Amino acid sequence: MNKDEHDHKHCLELFQKLSEYLDNELDEVTCKDIEKHVKDCVPCFVCLQTLKRTVDLCKQAENRPVPKDFSKKLKEAIQNMPKTPPAG
Amino acid sequence: MTVPRPANRKKIKDKDFELIQAINSGQFDRFPDLVKRYEQKLYNFSLRMCRDAADAEDTVQETFLNVFRYLKNFRYETKFKNWLYRVAASTCIKKRRKSKFAPERELSLDEFFPQDEAEVPDQVPKWALLPLDKLLNDELLDKINEAIFTLPEKYRLVIVLRDIEGFSTAETAQILNLSDANVKVRLHRARLFLRDKLKGYFENE
Repeated sequence: MNKDEHDHKHCLELFQKLSEYLDNELDEVTCKDIEKHVKDCVPCFVCLQTLKRTVDLCKQAENRPVPKDFSKKLKEAIQNMPKTPPAG
Repeated sequence: MTVPRPANRKKIKDKDFELIQAINSGQFDRFPDLVKRYEQKLYNFSLRMCRDAADAEDTVQETFLNVFRYLKNFRYETKFKNWLYRVAASTCIKKRRKSKFAPERELSLDEFFPQDEAEVPDQVPKWALLPLDKLLNDELLDKINEAIFTLPEKYRLVIVLRDIEGFSTAETAQILNLSDANVKVRLHRARLFLRDKLKGYFENE
């Protein structure tokens, strides 16, 4: 299917499920349906590939180190807590 | 903080099990070990939710104080980490209501579906084809963090828990008290939102 023949109804239906497809959360029949569709539908194939790359990039989001004075502040706050937690 | 469950439910013995048992049996001097184990993860989670570093610090401190207060109620019915993030998420949500954040709005699927002919892609862009290590640099990582910050909170919570913290759909649903279906819908829209931001970034590069 080329750009001009983009079948909105079926495409939109599958478009809703692309994240579940990437997360292996779909049944086999739906997976096969998506795989078959993206083989012939370039726009949907592009959607799937760019979404997959987005997830890969999101997973690379870096963690920042805890500020040094914060660890100290936290330690003090914990030391100042009552030694026994309240009942209940 | 706990949901009533049958009394004979099996306890989950995760990597924190022994430490929590020790703290709950009176060894309160071991609580800092628990803090050490999770302070960096919780700091980053809170920073992503609050954006402001001072608010994130307050939130982490409040989370640990809440954990200390309610640890006795922890029944080992989930991994401790999941319970901890449940406390952290609710602390962040409360903090958010007192602070300035990205405007809360609904994301609809239609806004991400290419409708106009000009928007319908005809080839996979370079940024989705290059090996990941060829693509990654500090500027891009900043852009990703920036894009995450601009997501409305309810979508941000889900994508941070699922794609950054690595919780499953079921765990995220439990942490946020949502249905699995709701987590999936929010996650998909959050990813599509980020995809559009990244697309914009690479097209203007």
